[in-house]
Amino acid sequence: MSLAPPLLVLGVFVALLLGAVAVRRSAGLAAAVTGVGFLAALAAIFWAMPGGGGTFGVAGVTLGFWAVICGVGLLLCVMAAGYWRGAENLAGEEFFILLLVASLGACVLAGAKDFLFLFLGLETMTLAMIGMIAYPRGRPEAGEAGLKYLILSAMSSAFLLFGVGLLELATGSLGLADVLAAAKTPMVVAGLAMVGVATGFKLSVVPFHIWVPDVYAGAPAPSGAFLAVVPKLAVLAVILRAVGLPGAALGPGALHVVSVVAALSMLVGNLLALQQQNVKRILGFSSIAHLGYLLVAILAAGEVGRVAVVFYAVTYALTMVAAFGVLAVLSDAGAARDAETIADLRGLFWSRPGLAAVMTLALLSLAGMPPAIGFIAKMYIFAAGVHQELWWLVGTMIASSVIGLFYYLSIILAMAQRQGAAPAASGMQVLGRVVLGVVSLAVLGLGVAPEPLIALVKAMVG
Amino acid sequence: MSLWLLLVIPLVGGCLAWPADRVHAHLPRVISLVALVATLVVALPMLHGTSGWLADFSVPWIPAFGMSFHLGMDGMSWLLTVLTIVLGMFSIVVSWRENSEKIGFFHANLMWSIAGTIGVFLALDLFLFFYFWELMLVPMVFVIAIWGHENRRVAAIKFFLFTQGSGLLILIGILGLAFLHQRASGVLTFDYFALLGHEPGGVAGFLIMLGLFVAFVVKLAAFPVHVWLPVTHTQAPTAGSVILASILLKTGAYGLLRFVVPLFPLASQALAPVALWLGVASIFYGAVLAYGQNDFKRLIAYTSISHMGFVLIGVFAFNALAWQGVVFLLIAHGVSTGALFIIVGGLQQRLHTRDLSRMGGMWGDLPKLSSFGAFFVLAAMGLPGLGNFVGEFLILRGAFAVAPVVTIFAAVGLVPAALYSLIAIQRAFHGPVREARAVVDFGWRENAMMVLLAAAIVWLGVYPQPVLDVAAPSIAAMGVVP
Repeated sequence: MSLAPPLLVLGVFVALLLGAVAVRRSAGLAAAVTGVGFLAALAAIFWAMPGGGGTFGVAGVTLGFWAVICGVGLLLCVMAAGYWRGAENLAGEEFFILLLVASLGACVLAGAKDFLFLFLGLETMTLAMIGMIAYPRGRPEAGEAGLKYLILSAMSSAFLLFGVGLLELATGSLGLADVLAAAKTPMVVAGLAMVGVATGFKLSVVPFHIWVPDVYAGAPAPSGAFLAVVPKLAVLAVILRAVGLPGAALGPGALHVVSVVAALSMLVGNLLALQQQNVKRILGFSSIAHLGYLLVAILAAGEVGRVAVVFYAVTYALTMVAAFGVLAVLSDAGAARDAETIADLRGLFWSRPGLAAVMTLALLSLAGMPPAIGFIAKMYIFAAGVHQELWWLVGTMIASSVIGLFYYLSIILAMAQRQGAAPAASGMQVLGRVVLGVVSLAVLGLGVAPEPLIALVKAMVG
Repeated sequence: MSLWLLLVIPLVGGCLAWPADRVHAHLPRVISLVALVATLVVALPMLHGTSGWLADFSVPWIPAFGMSFHLGMDGMSWLLTVLTIVLGMFSIVVSWRENSEKIGFFHANLMWSIAGTIGVFLALDLFLFFYFWELMLVPMVFVIAIWGHENRRVAAIKFFLFTQGSGLLILIGILGLAFLHQRASGVLTFDYFALLGHEPGGVAGFLIMLGLFVAFVVKLAAFPVHVWLPVTHTQAPTAGSVILASILLKTGAYGLLRFVVPLFPLASQALAPVALWLGVASIFYGAVLAYGQNDFKRLIAYTSISHMGFVLIGVFAFNALAWQGVVFLLIAHGVSTGALFIIVGGLQQRLHTRDLSRMGGMWGDLPKLSSFGAFFVLAAMGLPGLGNFVGEFLILRGAFAVAPVVTIFAAVGLVPAALYSLIAIQRAFHGPVREARAVVDFGWRENAMMVLLAAAIVWLGVYPQPVLDVAAPSIAAMGVVP
């Protein structure tokens, strides 16, 4: 992978940010530099898009994922600027450094063409994320979540490294394309399986999902949103490019394994979410289910399937940012925990109708109901599944969607309750509201008229 | 044509009504009513001539999937759209004096639900149809969950899960249909007219038809997938019950008539024997359970199940006469059941109970309410000379030619209908006064609503021809099956 300008821009801004923080410790300045960095990276990406100035020898899919990662980074940067303002004992600059570094790592991972860069990107992202998760040092849960994530990430990295080692031994190459094109000797298969396990950890699909609820619940809301979205986007980008390479077609055995993983993720994620009272945990379990849906789209190879994956990934990113964003705006970063239980949201429709409307829209989108974009996205995956006649996977998806409706609805109903409305939280996070406004406009607008996004995704993937 | 106005006016009306309660408590009501009147003004003149499609509107929506924003109106859609708008107005007026909280949001939800329903009746792109199908559901869930009675949470969840779950069957069905069509013809489209006459054969075709059938029957609330209906109708606020029973149930029947039968003529013929017997089962099941109810509102909900059994029989009788009867019964049932829910809502407001065992002898205390109540119970029962009779008679007459045994059983089902109707009148309005009560009778607002609905039922009963004429071209276009 050459040093593509978007990565270069992000790297330069990491350096700039470190310099800025060294000169003057100010969260506002750090947030501003980070935000400008993301904007500059986005500009570089748009310049490189078809019809823009030049190309970097980077696949359109990668560019698209870079854009989504940087867009999410920008939104979270603005949201975090509002969020950390409430914390008196925390400065907040380090958070922005970590955010920018993690995004850079994610972009490297998403664009990696060989296992060396893949591993570098993955570790850069993961290590920065551990800092982001454990950042509020006054909260024991955050420290615990960070430690959990550290240990499990280390384990998955070990799997990845072992797998890469086997692959290198067998094929003599670290290139993604070379490895996939090689004959499937037992050693190659074992190596690929280990890489697959590491991928499963990052995507948090069953049975590698155990860490999700605790880490999501312990992380402060902006970190939770990053954790829920960005690593998955980066890994999906790699998968999407890999499935297009020769020799990537899964054998019938592996196909069955992935199908079972997808089905289990959908069912387990939705079933476990039913019993939860903590919205972050619910979002965590729900993300497991959503990755199961995404696996269905990946299994439904072909153009419809690939467009479905990207479309769903964008939808998922927007929706998760909206849901975590509402929690962030409601929360006080200096408190012992975020406003994250269903009880905290009770009566929100009466105390803060705007926030409740955004949350409702996000939940409808997650549930796949119109007029939110999640509806179109789910339709896309159904369409891909029906197209490839993956009947029992589509059937599982329907069944688990119906289960999922129940817990999304129970949050909405709690917000609509007349009694016991929670007192309006103290902070007025203007910045957080700006993010929510942008995201909910996108969720609603693209849900009513999805064609622009579909056309864009098709141009990137096709 | 201005078909899109029929959707935009209620949607915008709802958006305006939401914040309007900050200005004045009555403003949301006024805005909603004005919006519905405007919608009606747009809709009424669309009926010109009596041939085929009255209006059509189409713009590309998601060309990537061959989906277009295609609306169209024929006689049947026109009748159901007008029914929706008019009963929507009644549902606004009926809650005029209820000082509930957040009156603006309440009216916004009512209006959005009405807009979604109109969309369902107009959509001629299968995916657009599904979009509206889902869209009408969410506001209704809010209406039940926020402003419903004591058990509203359970009711809202049941309603949501049943209709949404069955909605996913529709989604799979239409996707399957479109892809099978694409495989056969090379064109990916969800357009109704493009898919018409290309029935996918084989097991896949039958399964797709079955999925749509189940989904629509859930909405219609026929036995055995009626489970959501009694609790939902009972717990919804009066305006919600009126919309649910008078309008939303009709979307199920409309789906069967508009999509299942014309798109899958062979497969649905194959299913007909099962569907006919399900209809008979609904008639008896609804009637028997209605007879046993103590809750007046629940009683009416069960009678709905019974009446929708007739609708199911009519749809699957596959002849023009029965289909005419179905359209007619949908309208008559909408009017009569809407009126009954308004009356029970009035009772609950006055007595703070829906329990029949605490009523009795109300004809003395509430003569106007009781006489209207008795009138509409008799109308719902199918008394000759009133609207429902015409619909049921046409259905039975049409079905007898095809399935005499089923028809005989269905006709016998009218006997338990008479039983539950008479016992309801007896328990609520006649007999000894069980509790002393100081209540006021219907005022002019409620009287005016009742008189209008009663006049409509009488008119439908004695001079049904105009309605039949409007519906006739749609029925003829459904493909006359011998």
